[in-house]
Amino acid sequence: MSISCSELSKVYEGGKAGWPALRGVSFEIKPGEFTAVTGPSGCGKSTLLNILGLLDEPSGGRYLLNGRSILEMTDRERSDFRRDQIGFIFQSFNLLNRLPALGNVCLPMMYAGIPSAEMQHRAHELLAKVGLKGKEKKTPLELSGGERQRVAIARALANSPKIILADEPTGNLDSASSREIMDMLLQLNAEGITVIMVTHDKELAARARRNLRMKDGRLEA
Amino acid sequence: MRSLFNAVRTVIREIRVHKMRSVLSFMAIAVGSVVFIDSFAAIFSTYDRLQKQKEVSGIARLKITQDYNQTSADPDEYTPPPTITYEDAVSLKNKLPGLYMVSPEVQNWRNTLEFEGKRVVTTLTGVTPEWAKRDFVYTLKGRFLDWHDVENKLRVCVLVRKAVPPPTNELNKTRMKQWDYTAAFDVLVSHSDMLGKTIKLDDVTFTVIGVLEELPASKAPDIILPQNRDYKVLAPVTTLAHYGFIDEENDSMDLSVDAGDENNFAESLKLVENFLKIRFGGDESFLIDNQMELIKDTIDASIKASLVTISLGMLAFLAGGIGIMNITLATVFARTKEIGIRRAVGASRGDIMLQFIVEAAMLGLIGGVLGSVLGYVWGVPVKEMLGLGQSPIKLWMPAVSVLIATFTAFVFAIYPAWVAASLKPADALRTE
Repeated sequence: MSISCSELSKVYEGGKAGWPALRGVSFEIKPGEFTAVTGPSGCGKSTLLNILGLLDEPSGGRYLLNGRSILEMTDRERSDFRRDQIGFIFQSFNLLNRLPALGNVCLPMMYAGIPSAEMQHRAHELLAKVGLKGKEKKTPLELSGGERQRVAIARALANSPKIILADEPTGNLDSASSREIMDMLLQLNAEGITVIMVTHDKELAARARRNLRMKDGRLEA
Repeated sequence: MRSLFNAVRTVIREIRVHKMRSVLSFMAIAVGSVVFIDSFAAIFSTYDRLQKQKEVSGIARLKITQDYNQTSADPDEYTPPPTITYEDAVSLKNKLPGLYMVSPEVQNWRNTLEFEGKRVVTTLTGVTPEWAKRDFVYTLKGRFLDWHDVENKLRVCVLVRKAVPPPTNELNKTRMKQWDYTAAFDVLVSHSDMLGKTIKLDDVTFTVIGVLEELPASKAPDIILPQNRDYKVLAPVTTLAHYGFIDEENDSMDLSVDAGDENNFAESLKLVENFLKIRFGGDESFLIDNQMELIKDTIDASIKASLVTISLGMLAFLAGGIGIMNITLATVFARTKEIGIRRAVGASRGDIMLQFIVEAAMLGLIGGVLGSVLGYVWGVPVKEMLGLGQSPIKLWMPAVSVLIATFTAFVFAIYPAWVAASLKPADALRTE
């Protein structure tokens, strides 16, 4: 899964001229890379990640995913792409609190139409892999921050994605949990998954193979 | 199919989690359902009643009466208007065999009836067997008059036994006593078994061959035409003439006619007019009441009234639908974050839309079922208890109502679901 961006821009509507979050960002990411995107708050890191994850559309520029321009995709195709190729990990976990851990992990598989028995089996496997064996029935509210993020990782892995997009995955966690999550991401990268992580933690960024530094909507060389 | 199944599963959980919200949605639609079933039952019973009325009264009715309002300039030149006699009735029937009923009728008031030493005041009505063809809202004991009785001027009669009148207030009771000079007759007929016995009517002996019992008010089919005759004693019209109860020179009979076919009514009306012209000359000495118009107007009015009812039912559904729309919209805003999460893990716009539409449709479905149960409870036992009379609820009414409830909820959920599906995933995720 290769990612190629050229002159990506994003202007948020509102105000007289709108607010430019990205002002021409170009880069390429090869399959299997571990990339950290760093920079101060408001520099456009999250916007970039949202665009890369097909959660938002760029206002200008080109974005090729595996050689296909995402602007030409239908909503259905983009949704399927998110479901099958991309796993998200958010700072605030974004789990459904009404569902148990198991249900949260099953969600992407449900939309992929995987049969119930297989779905349950795989969800159990994934939760065991992130070290939550025995906590499948707990809802996110009954889990600690680190555990919640592990549920989120299990969910991100549900449909065996090629890319993991992590937006400040350790932002709400203590340092011990942060290390664990980072170890997990590195482990996944070692298994061949492309990881793109937004962070402002320099220590974490240092562990990534590649660093992209952003400032005021642009990449710093 | 699978996504529908998933949506249904999600929705069942949502309904369980948000009990209060769901119950309110059910109720919004259920009340619509109740009103709908009630109004449908009302329409159905109106229709039913109209059918029965048509069967009892016929439609192509007309009535020929003498026109008493003749004027002449000089009192000395006054000639009494011609009268309709039994022979005229027979002749009309022979000339126009297509007519379903030609019933001559003539009344003689304030006759004395003597039975086993008791004397009461009554009213005599001369009729033929044709009389029983229309507006016959009685049960007969014994037999009715036949042509043999009429042709041979036999002294036989049929008595009418009044039904117990519906309960009324004191004023009405007093009024009835004041005006109903035949009350004693009604009491006598109700309390004595007079069938087969002989009675004296103004000193002429008659045999009671039949008793007509009025059906109680609740069971009697309504007569569309206003019934202005109060029947007490029915006897062959020929007998009454023969024994001098009526004077055919002066007492004109009324002819009640049922042309039989409403499509040929205009033609029948003309034929009857021609018949009268030929028989009585060019003078317009008779009035012909076109009762079909009245009957049709009455029926139209009933149907219009029931359309008002059904529109109320539809409005109730509309209110329920708007309730569902409101609730679904509120749900969409309350669950924006969830929509974002679902979109992030791969739900398409269609999936989100389906989820909300299925949720609303299920609320509608459950509400419809609930409403049908409530509608039945309201329509049958409760109405009975309140003395309103049971609604004639047919099995298809709740079925239709459930379908409409589901469909209404479905339609009203489209807009909120579209709002939900149109949210950009990134924006939806940002909301708290």
